[in-house]
Amino acid sequence: MSSSILHLENVGVAYQGVRRVGTRGFWALEDVSLDLHEGETLGVIGRNGAGKSTLLRVIAGILQPDRGRVSLKRPLRIQMLALGLGFVPHLTGRDNAILSGMLLGLRRREIEARLSAIRDYSELGDFFEQPLNTYSSGMVMRLGFSVAMQSQPDVLLIDEVLGVGDAEFLKKSENDLRLRMRSGMTCVLVSHQDSLIAELSHRAVWIEHGRLVLQDSVDKALAAYHAA
Amino acid sequence: MRFFELLWFSAYAELKAESARSYLGFLWWLLEPAMFMAVFYFAFGLLMGIRDPNYIPFLLIGLTLWQWFKSCISHGGHAIWLNIPMMRQVRLPVLLFPLTAVVSDTLKFVFIFVVLLLILWAMGYGPSRAYLALPLVLLALLLLASAGALVSAAIVPFVPDLRFVIENALMAMMFVSGVVFSLEALPETYRAWISLNPMVGILESARDILMRGQWPNWWLLAKSCIGSILALAIAMLLIHRLAPRYPKLAV
Repeated sequence: MSSSILHLENVGVAYQGVRRVGTRGFWALEDVSLDLHEGETLGVIGRNGAGKSTLLRVIAGILQPDRGRVSLKRPLRIQMLALGLGFVPHLTGRDNAILSGMLLGLRRREIEARLSAIRDYSELGDFFEQPLNTYSSGMVMRLGFSVAMQSQPDVLLIDEVLGVGDAEFLKKSENDLRLRMRSGMTCVLVSHQDSLIAELSHRAVWIEHGRLVLQDSVDKALAAYHAA
Repeated sequence: MRFFELLWFSAYAELKAESARSYLGFLWWLLEPAMFMAVFYFAFGLLMGIRDPNYIPFLLIGLTLWQWFKSCISHGGHAIWLNIPMMRQVRLPVLLFPLTAVVSDTLKFVFIFVVLLLILWAMGYGPSRAYLALPLVLLALLLLASAGALVSAAIVPFVPDLRFVIENALMAMMFVSGVVFSLEALPETYRAWISLNPMVGILESARDILMRGQWPNWWLLAKSCIGSILALAIAMLLIHRLAPRYPKLAV
């Protein structure tokens, strides 16, 4: 595995919680230091509320740390896998695909050039031209996944969702994502499924109560996590 | 460039979605202001019995411009707050959300403004050379409306309770802007204060151009422009400062 492209040093993030006069922030992330290497998939494990999603948002640059710092070796496009970003129920599948693609950072002509691919991949057929509020929830997710896959960031952050839809589409979408992760894309994967972490990650970090407990090989991290 | 492309498409999407939500669709963009104006005409023109024949164009111009300004602020004011969940998923310039509201309300305004011109012409208030100054007046109002939208959008996520205050503050502002009745009748002591309100100069200029066919009072208009630009600069600075804090707020 090659060199580190992103480094977190003693990062902490506080949310502003309930709106009452005089309440203080809530530290979702207390102290996390870690490295992300070029081309690797880093697994993140930990219990509910440990701060895993917050960690992803810090890496994505969505949340600025309230303490500690994040440093990048070079400018990177880092993105979460966001399904159905900005979807509007009253717009057609086509309009939603354009809007969502642009929110993900694509230029309008780029996303328009891929519309037929999106339409095919999502298997929506004529529904692609119909408003989203006529879709089943599975269809919405299929469209969301198809659009999200058009954005190809340098680092992809995945929070639990690897695939969507019915059994068949689930298999197809999961496989395509797996393929990307294996073909050298840098990736951070949050999951509660040990098997996924073990299958896809090169290394793993374990986070508990907003602190990094362990950064090690997948086997060791999983073993330590379950022993705790 | 990418930002403007996204801004334009978001505004288009918002308008399209809005017109898809009702049976009459985008006809409401005209019907709603028409109803609103009818109510004011009923109250002030008929009930209060203002007999001046110039009152109807006075009122129509005031309300048309005011509604544009007001909708930008009350609509834009919610924009950041409503989009916090999206800001947690992807990095986006915060300005996108309030400006989308401003752009879509401005597009609606263009329709309504054309209808206003047609009505004025039909009433005998024809176009004149002074129309050349109209873009400047509308630009000043656009800047002022954007400033208002950005400031309220910036603050509402921290204090959502302000939403209730903003509506009433706007109503108060309407009465000291000369929208429904002329401020000339007010005592001198108030007028000095009221002239600090950039809206006054903007409305006065618009009426000079559209009703009286004369060039606006340039000094008054310049003051309004400067006031609007200043307000917008402050608003941008405020949003820029607060931007990192929005994704950390409870929704």
